[in-house]
Amino acid sequence: MSNKLNWPTLAGMVGLSLTACKILPTPSGENGGNAPAFNPDKMVEEIWAAKVIPYLQQKAGPFAEVHALAKTDPAAAGAKYGNPKKQANSPWTFAVRLEGKIVAANTQSRAATVDVDADGDGKADARVQIGPAMRGTALRDSLDFIQFNDFTNQIDFAQFGKALNAHADKTVLSKLPREALEGRTAKILGAYTPGSGQDLPLVTPAEAEIGPKP
Amino acid sequence: MKLTRRMTLAAFAGMLALGTAAPAYAADLIAIITPSHDNPFFKAEAVGAEAKAKELGYETLVLVHDDDASKQSQLIDTAIGRGAKAIILDNAGADATVAAVQKAKDAGVPSFLIDREINATGVAVAQIVSNNYQGAQLGAQEFVKLMGEKGNYVELVGKESDTNAGIRSKGYHDVIDEYPDLKMVAQQSANWSQTEAYSKMESILQANPDIKGVISGNDTMAMGAWAALEAAGRKDVIVVGFDGSNDVRDSIKAGGIKATVLQPAYAQAQMAVEQADAFIKNKKSPAEEKQLMDCVLINGDNAAKLETFALTN
Repeated sequence: MSNKLNWPTLAGMVGLSLTACKILPTPSGENGGNAPAFNPDKMVEEIWAAKVIPYLQQKAGPFAEVHALAKTDPAAAGAKYGNPKKQANSPWTFAVRLEGKIVAANTQSRAATVDVDADGDGKADARVQIGPAMRGTALRDSLDFIQFNDFTNQIDFAQFGKALNAHADKTVLSKLPREALEGRTAKILGAYTPGSGQDLPLVTPAEAEIGPKP
Repeated sequence: MKLTRRMTLAAFAGMLALGTAAPAYAADLIAIITPSHDNPFFKAEAVGAEAKAKELGYETLVLVHDDDASKQSQLIDTAIGRGAKAIILDNAGADATVAAVQKAKDAGVPSFLIDREINATGVAVAQIVSNNYQGAQLGAQEFVKLMGEKGNYVELVGKESDTNAGIRSKGYHDVIDEYPDLKMVAQQSANWSQTEAYSKMESILQANPDIKGVISGNDTMAMGAWAALEAAGRKDVIVVGFDGSNDVRDSIKAGGIKATVLQPAYAQAQMAVEQADAFIKNKKSPAEEKQLMDCVLINGDNAAKLETFALTN
């Protein structure tokens, strides 16, 4: 701190004593020497309500429709519900709305989930992450205004994805009930990346409501 | 200094001019520079790139820099000197490589990077890298599941100069650290080396006999760790690697190592050559310089489909 205070004085002295000299710009002033440090949590806070939620609301389709189209014609599903600016080699990530009944819950794991039956056949159609530990970067990958090339490197890009999940957990998921979830209704706005395995599609919510006990 | 540089450039330009004046039947050359082929991952890259280059009618110059930045610089000089039309490069250091790639660019030779990023954009034409962070998260999630979300574990970290060592470690911890009952009792670098991982694992095991799992920054270190655990009669320890090598595939099938994460090395190298070809023939650059390729979790369910860093259907 005391060092910092001394700099202007020092600079003043140097300036006075070298008045005849040509002043050259200091290199540190050129390329954003005091650019703010990367703060993904703050970035997310600034865009969450203003951009993320409106984008998902406008882009999301009903889960059953999205999932059916994703199976038969991924490119068409991508054009409609996906992020057209995604990395060429990445799989599509789709924005979805999911409404239905919770038929199973795993709240033992820190990566807690509920399985939701959307079509009323009694069988789960999708698995929804309810935190606090969350997997993947589906929220990030669904947003067309977020590009990998805008970040310095993979780590910053990844931290941003994690910050989105953390924000959803902090503001929405941590407030959801954890007990006696089976039989309740669930209403989700979020995103998912279809997997190749036999596991249920894993939806990451940006908004979530769980109804009262039946 | 500046004068010498100009003269060198003029000399290069002269050589390039000679190159173009050469008879038309001489095929264009693509240089393929990677770390040592001792690690099958880098070998798969070189083989994949070479096969694609030949298929597209190029001659190839395959070189290894052994993760030595000054050797890499010499090899790039060689590629420029031989009149290469493009360089496919898995580089020897995110910072040290920037100048070498710039040197090639100044001499009119475009570089197409694979596997590892460099800390600059606008120097290489393309940087096609595995999404190491996404892959590390896949590996860590599987590790957490196998560990039952609790217990003591060890992390083996890769070579410090390689950005991927740090990215993978960060990806691992972003997942694992969310589980307070998982405790890291040792974290050491074994520099991507199998023999080093073996000896490090031996001593870690002596100091921490109560470990339940080992998460490793790559497959060669996972193989070394597994050999040490096996020799100590500790086949109960859960080991997870990264790369998707045939060695680890065989270990998974035999019930040894539990999982790894496949980086599509072969496909990545081929894609780099395709982009180089488009650039050479039509001056067409890829839409984005930095391109990420997703990794795939390999465990007992799909190990049988893995062959030379590619999944068959």
